[in-house]
Amino acid sequence: MPNEAKSPYLPIPMRVLRAYYESTDRSLKTLELGFDDPQDARDFFAAFNPGQFCLLSVIGKGESALGVANAAWEGDFVRFTAQKMGSVTTALHALKPGDPIGMRGPLGNGFPLEDWKGKNLVIIGGGCAFSTLYALTKHLHHPSNREDYGKLTVIYGTRTSGLCMYKQDIAAWHQRDDMEVHQAIDVPEQDWLHHVGYVPDVVKEVKPSPVNSVVVVCGPPIMTKFTLPALVELGFAPETIFTSLEKRMKCGIGKCGRCNLGPKYICKDGPVFSLAELNALPADI
Amino acid sequence: MNLILKKDHLTDLLNTWRGNHEVYAPQSLQKFTHFLPLLEGSEPVFDQAHNTRIPPKALFLPISEALLKFTRFGGYEQVPSQKAPRLIFGIRPCDARALTLLDTVFKQERYTDPHWQTRRDATVLVGLGCHEPCQTGFCTTVGSGPFDRAGLDAILTDLGEEFLVETLTEKGECLFTQLKRASDEQNARAMDLQQAARESMPTAFEVEGIKQKLDANFASPYWEEISRSCLGCGVCTFLCPTCFCFDIVDEAQRGERVRNWDTCMFRTYSLEASGHNPRPSRVERTRQRLSHKYSYWVDQISQIGCTGCGRCVRYCPVGLDIRAMLRKAQQLPSEVLHAK
Repeated sequence: MPNEAKSPYLPIPMRVLRAYYESTDRSLKTLELGFDDPQDARDFFAAFNPGQFCLLSVIGKGESALGVANAAWEGDFVRFTAQKMGSVTTALHALKPGDPIGMRGPLGNGFPLEDWKGKNLVIIGGGCAFSTLYALTKHLHHPSNREDYGKLTVIYGTRTSGLCMYKQDIAAWHQRDDMEVHQAIDVPEQDWLHHVGYVPDVVKEVKPSPVNSVVVVCGPPIMTKFTLPALVELGFAPETIFTSLEKRMKCGIGKCGRCNLGPKYICKDGPVFSLAELNALPADI
Repeated sequence: MNLILKKDHLTDLLNTWRGNHEVYAPQSLQKFTHFLPLLEGSEPVFDQAHNTRIPPKALFLPISEALLKFTRFGGYEQVPSQKAPRLIFGIRPCDARALTLLDTVFKQERYTDPHWQTRRDATVLVGLGCHEPCQTGFCTTVGSGPFDRAGLDAILTDLGEEFLVETLTEKGECLFTQLKRASDEQNARAMDLQQAARESMPTAFEVEGIKQKLDANFASPYWEEISRSCLGCGVCTFLCPTCFCFDIVDEAQRGERVRNWDTCMFRTYSLEASGHNPRPSRVERTRQRLSHKYSYWVDQISQIGCTGCGRCVRYCPVGLDIRAMLRKAQQLPSEVLHAK
């Protein structure tokens, strides 16, 4: 197409490298995608920041917005974990290594990592919303990034141990001396060595210190709803509490209209907002 | 410099333009006027006091348009945008102003929409001022007017036997090279007509402070009251010249990814895969429509996202009137009384 600007609706051609179930109930599946064109990989990682998302295209089915679940240093691939919900995510679950797939992104702002330099980070996640927090934690694990930040605490809760994502990696995190990991499940299970209870209660138990700290919360709305007040109670200022929002999306670039929260578009101005920013916006979520 | 276009020369001029443009003009189709390609021998229709039913935004953001074409083996390619030069004759100032508002959505520095951009660049707009403003319009209330120049390349004033032509851009000047200059008397008559048209339009509601009222009353029972008779048909947004929301769907059998106009007045618009809907009823959806136009646009670009064309008033099947809704909003308290 000579002289025509590249459309922002045109997906990057990708191919499935690896596909594996993430949860024992097979509701969550991880796809690792490789780039057909190495130039696309360079462009992607030049723009990528943990906390961003992409729109995955299954041609003939449609697009689905998913958070990126890997750090740039892991290699020239992009990882997503999809919960099987509708027609697109069902089609995503059916993909096999070698299958073609389209991807638009990276989209959105991602975490304000520059502003967080020199601070302690508290990362709180629940369920499958942990994917971008996993990307953030992996990013911080790289030695050249780790030294820019202080203490690292991760609190991750799931309904059951089987629904916990990235199990092997997280198990290894318990052995690291540069971070603290607290895992939780909702109801007791045999041989479970970690916390039992809902994430807001675990946060109250762990009591992360607000001194020189920022906290990121991503989880189902009900978890976020009760975790934010718990953090305020622990002394975190609204400017130091961050969360990542989701709404139905189509274009991903602030044009189709539907993901607005007052004058802000979650796709373009978010998905990461501070509690201070959210307090100034209408509760249209 | 203003020019004079005799009405009996209009057909010749349109024919000349047709030599190097696709010319669109309002024409009758069934009960309404529409912007349609002007074919040889057909005449534009101006006798209807009001505007076309479907706003000319549809010529830039079509009701349905393919974005991608699917190729074999799971591939896809970009659908090229229309680039042939076009001329829209007789666009009303409210609709031309609406295009300038939509430019701020589609022509952003990051993520310019190439379909919108190429159509805008390839199109010249010859406006027709409203010397007899329509009854449901309220353009003067929202900072526009029956002779608003925003977005136009030239604007015509109907002087009876002839049009006074005011060219506004270079693109506009190039269209009217053969015309005589307007006399002082003709200029004065046009000025009087334009002023009279403006002054004939009453202020529909107080615009000052409306954003603050809507923001402060986000959780007020006001929204339930004004949306009670709404059917949720979406015609107010479908025919709105500044509404731009769209859906993207894969039409597998046609082998295309298509974008279609969508509306915040529909339940499925914001319905999420989990079943959660941030705007579950017409109360929240009405709030979104009004707040978007009168609060969120103001936050984003310091302009109201409504040009007062009056279509939502004219075509609402249950007679809901945004002017009355906003008059009522101005009666609301300025402080937040209801928790979010």
